[in-house]
Amino acid sequence: MEKLLPIKFVTSRGRLLLLCVLAAVLPVATAAAQTAEPVMVVITHPTTSEEGIPRASLRAIFGMLLQQWPGRKPVKVFVLRDDASEHATFSKSVLQVFPHQLRMAWDRQVFSGQGQYPEQVSSPQEMLSRVASTPGAIGYVKASEVDQNVRVLKIR
Amino acid sequence: MCVYSRFAKAARSIALFGALSLSAALAQAVDFLDGDLQVHGFATGTLVNTSDNNWFGKSDDQISKDYWEIGANASWRVTPDVQLSAQALSYTAGGTDDGDARLDYGLVDWTAVSSEAGRGGIRLGRFKTAYGLYNKTRDVAFTRPSIILPQSIYFERTRNLTVSADGGELYVERYGENGTLSASFALGQPQTDTEAAQTAVIGSNRPGHIDSKLAPDLQVMYEGAGGRYVLGFTAVHLELSYKPGVGDRLQAGTHRLTPLIFSAQYNAEDWSLTSEYASRRISAQDFGPFFYNGTTVGESYYLQGTYRLAPKWEGVLRYDAYYADKADRDGKDFSAATRLPGFTRFARDWTVGVRFDVTPQFMLRAEAHRVNGTGFLPVQDNPNAQDLRQYWDTFMLLGSFRF
Repeated sequence: MEKLLPIKFVTSRGRLLLLCVLAAVLPVATAAAQTAEPVMVVITHPTTSEEGIPRASLRAIFGMLLQQWPGRKPVKVFVLRDDASEHATFSKSVLQVFPHQLRMAWDRQVFSGQGQYPEQVSSPQEMLSRVASTPGAIGYVKASEVDQNVRVLKIR
Repeated sequence: MCVYSRFAKAARSIALFGALSLSAALAQAVDFLDGDLQVHGFATGTLVNTSDNNWFGKSDDQISKDYWEIGANASWRVTPDVQLSAQALSYTAGGTDDGDARLDYGLVDWTAVSSEAGRGGIRLGRFKTAYGLYNKTRDVAFTRPSIILPQSIYFERTRNLTVSADGGELYVERYGENGTLSASFALGQPQTDTEAAQTAVIGSNRPGHIDSKLAPDLQVMYEGAGGRYVLGFTAVHLELSYKPGVGDRLQAGTHRLTPLIFSAQYNAEDWSLTSEYASRRISAQDFGPFFYNGTTVGESYYLQGTYRLAPKWEGVLRYDAYYADKADRDGKDFSAATRLPGFTRFARDWTVGVRFDVTPQFMLRAEAHRVNGTGFLPVQDNPNAQDLRQYWDTFMLLGSFRF
């Protein structure tokens, strides 16, 4: 019995490993099976002078850490609801952060007095109009929905 | 007296609820300020049942309703680099905390330097203590991985000493291509004026009181690949001196606590794996013959897996181990010296739980613990150590609302 234990341990560890591998591979497989997701772009108020921004800085802006554009202009962040498909696609493909991590980061800052929530809008139309009318604003929409009242910010 | 205090507690909870709903109404009103002023809050109630021993009130073979966390906060972004924030908190936990509303934090945060690559600044006032991954929002159920944080590191027993401090905290953040590096260094006066803080350090019903020196607190965190993995280190040093009271059996001793915490987390889309290890050096000196003087090094660690089963459902499984003295893990030496049970010096806790987010504002949780040892149970709920049982289970149900 004593001798059997390590073997049992190894096989159960093996099984666990297999499970982990499966868990990691499954989402990839399902994602590949789905139709191509829409391309999301970052949009800003038309007066924003920035042409491009590093992904890390963008992450810090949407994580509500970095709150100023160069030149001390305040950043105003707009997001869609957590369960909006555009929010998930934007988080994962552009910021490369899972939406649940963004939510956790916001909650932790708000409830420790270190930050504030971004402003939530209810539709891509509202996103476009709010970003177009708020100086310093930043948000996101599908590339196909961009209109002439906002500016597209490139990632460099 | 008991009836009166129950009534007072209920009245206070109702008043707080009233204030909460009022501020919820206010929160909508302040949208006029373009969201620069935000008001938020939460109310959490937890039912606790234990098979033996008491936790969060009288829970042994009954259901304790004495665990409440109610808070409301406001933050105002005055300029792009200055934010004012404050939170009032009512924390009720069995015999350790009576729910009196306290200022949880109240601070001015000044971002002195800010660029695309990072920022740095200072927080002044009462700020939350950086301590492992979860401490800064330890009383906010939505930010916890389970109903109860792993007790080996986030003790309920000693929470008042590490919940927040008065002083200043410097912080820097660097947003690199591969990850975000952040560091903070704080000097603050821990809150030692509560009964619970005193009891945690010197035991219950002492006539004297403890004072703390300014406590240094260093934390460094690295979040790689957009938070896929997180590595952290925290070091805190508390120095508490005892001023004996009239007819005191204790002498003017000093307590020094130096916890070091190593944190690691991996986040996948559907699951997270988290582990923290803490080494806690505790020394008690010059308290005289009626106290356990000496230096011990305690050890704590947990391994926790959370799995997002479906969009609104999350499961958690955790193993959590606490040893008051690394050199006396089973408490035998302690037991021989004090005639108290050795199992009061450790606790090994298996936890399984589930979370259901009914709406983004309302959450329900259920959780079961199987525990060997009573190391993290507060004496206030269990005044007689001889009544403690080594093996015990606890089951909890939580409902939490936020706005």
